[in-house]
Amino acid sequence: MKHTTRLMDIIQRSLTGPLMDEEDFNDKHVTQGLARVIKAYDIHINQDQIINQDDALADRVWEAAVDFLASCGVYCQTTNRLILFSKTEILDILKYAPANAWIGEGTDAVQEVARKIEDPRRPLLMGSSIGTPIEDEYFVPSMISYIQEPEVDVTMAPTLTNIYGYDIRTRSPLEILSSWREVELTLEAMRRAGRPGMGFTGVGSSISDVGQLSSDGPGGLRQTDLHTFGIISELKTNFEILNKLTHIIMRAGIVDPYANPIYGGLGGGMDGQAILITAAMIALNVFFMATCVGTSPAHPFNFNDTGKELLLSSGLSFQALARNSKLMTNLTNTPVGGPGTKTLLYECIALTVMMTVSGGSRILGPRSATGSITGHFSGLEARFTGELLTAASKLSRDKAEEIVQKAYSKYEQDLAQKPYGKHFKDVYDLKTIQPTAEWCQLYDEVKNEAAGWGLSFD
Amino acid sequence: MSSSFESLEKAILTGDQQSGTTEAVRLIESGTKPLKLFSDCIEPLLDDIGEKFSRLEIFLPEMVNASKVVKAIHEAVKPYLEHEQDVPSKGKIVIATVSGDMHDIGKNIVKAMLEVNGFDVKDLGVDVPTQTIVKTAKEFQADIIALSALMLPSLPFVKDVIEFMEASPSVKIIVGGGPVSKEWADEEGADGYGDNAIDAVALVKDILGV
Repeated sequence: MKHTTRLMDIIQRSLTGPLMDEEDFNDKHVTQGLARVIKAYDIHINQDQIINQDDALADRVWEAAVDFLASCGVYCQTTNRLILFSKTEILDILKYAPANAWIGEGTDAVQEVARKIEDPRRPLLMGSSIGTPIEDEYFVPSMISYIQEPEVDVTMAPTLTNIYGYDIRTRSPLEILSSWREVELTLEAMRRAGRPGMGFTGVGSSISDVGQLSSDGPGGLRQTDLHTFGIISELKTNFEILNKLTHIIMRAGIVDPYANPIYGGLGGGMDGQAILITAAMIALNVFFMATCVGTSPAHPFNFNDTGKELLLSSGLSFQALARNSKLMTNLTNTPVGGPGTKTLLYECIALTVMMTVSGGSRILGPRSATGSITGHFSGLEARFTGELLTAASKLSRDKAEEIVQKAYSKYEQDLAQKPYGKHFKDVYDLKTIQPTAEWCQLYDEVKNEAAGWGLSFD
Repeated sequence: MSSSFESLEKAILTGDQQSGTTEAVRLIESGTKPLKLFSDCIEPLLDDIGEKFSRLEIFLPEMVNASKVVKAIHEAVKPYLEHEQDVPSKGKIVIATVSGDMHDIGKNIVKAMLEVNGFDVKDLGVDVPTQTIVKTAKEFQADIIALSALMLPSLPFVKDVIEFMEASPSVKIIVGGGPVSKEWADEEGADGYGDNAIDAVALVKDILGV
């Protein structure tokens, strides 16, 4: 079942599935459903470690996630109906999931592949601030700071804070203009950096279907770019999202959606979070026809994913997916630290190493300073992330655990202080688009320290 | 845990509405004043639940379920309040994620935290039109409107609500969400900014002086 046949099937299920109140879905289907499978599959995460070392636990998380998803379904807010796929259907559809995809054009194209745990093949790096707001004058230089890095494989734009001086407003003509402006500036940054065929994710500045899809076509987002959309937490959709999916399918674009479960939310603690992330990633392929499946789980108060709870639950989920499917998985790195801080670099080590040995196909970011502070990001942290991907691809999980524990001990106490660091203009020379000596020195110090822990940057 | 309230506290902590209402009525019929039930048992327990969530020792479902039990208890004990004042609310709050924004859970966490801290909260959901927020705040006689916006293009709708409510300065507006900052909130004339759910509760308490 592929393409329009699959698409029609999903749309029909959203129109004919069982009617349900949304609050009942949250409570009875998601929360109680997770509690049921945590018990049934004996899911207990060992909190003494950061990277899961237990393959049997990863397999049980997979089984629990498939069972949970088959009973829970995905809720369509527009029709107040459940979209349901049986366990047999879920497993059958997953057999047809793509295991590789070319992203980008010409000599700038890169191939993403499904990876396994401790896979020696380096994951891809989407070097980007992933939609962090930025003033118009720094938009292109900040993008170049990522694209010019050889370690960066694909990219994504930051978010414009305004369009020609005016606030961007959802579902308005201004959103359509900003959607086009984002693509124009991204293409310009790629041309200026000498990588015009690099694949990029779009469109981040727009939320609505009309805003996002307006620039997804000739002159805008290309078929070979990553066409993204987020589903609603937890496991919900609506017709705006299905409109986006329909347009992407009809354009034969790469479907690259994401689901972002919130830690401490409907999934509860780490056990539920690991199952929920796994189920959501499966749902992205089964219910939303994803080529690649992504997540950016968030802490409810710090908004990062580099705390121990999320490192553990995300890593376990990625291992469950890597061992039991051929899905191409990606994880957004959302550290608390910002440019000009060592905290950011230590957080990059922990999350990147964890994801690499856990079988992820692509890392996104870093979305420095939690992606919420205007202009607080730079290409240097992406360079470091790319180097970490290569180094971590040579590691076993137990060696990775040692390294991640060391990195984590360096920043754990800083998270609550929120060291958001500096603006791009204060850590880069805007004429040469190179990091300042001060920022380079911090990078060199942390890299040397990490090399001493066993990461080989040769 | 106080021994006389042990069963009631257990019912609230486990989200057991049936046991919670039965035990509350039993305590009142045994001579406990309804207001004392709230001041000596339920309010301290809810404070404790809020604190535990802020340390992530418990999670959203437990907090929501505890809040539901307390609401059910409130309804169950109303017939016994004839000669006493009703259990006082600390304040009325309308909460919503603004137009164009579908983000739900962050707002739900703030709502649950406010409820367990004793505030009367009307939740309008997500993607709520400006007029609906304004109209509901007036009908509900809200003390505070709490607005959530997680995407930059949603912020103009926050500004719209602030502008609409300029004519009703007694209703305070607080804002939060990814692209919002204290500086932005100050500049746009909001009455307060909360970085997260814990901040939001502190902010509401501060504004209402409770």
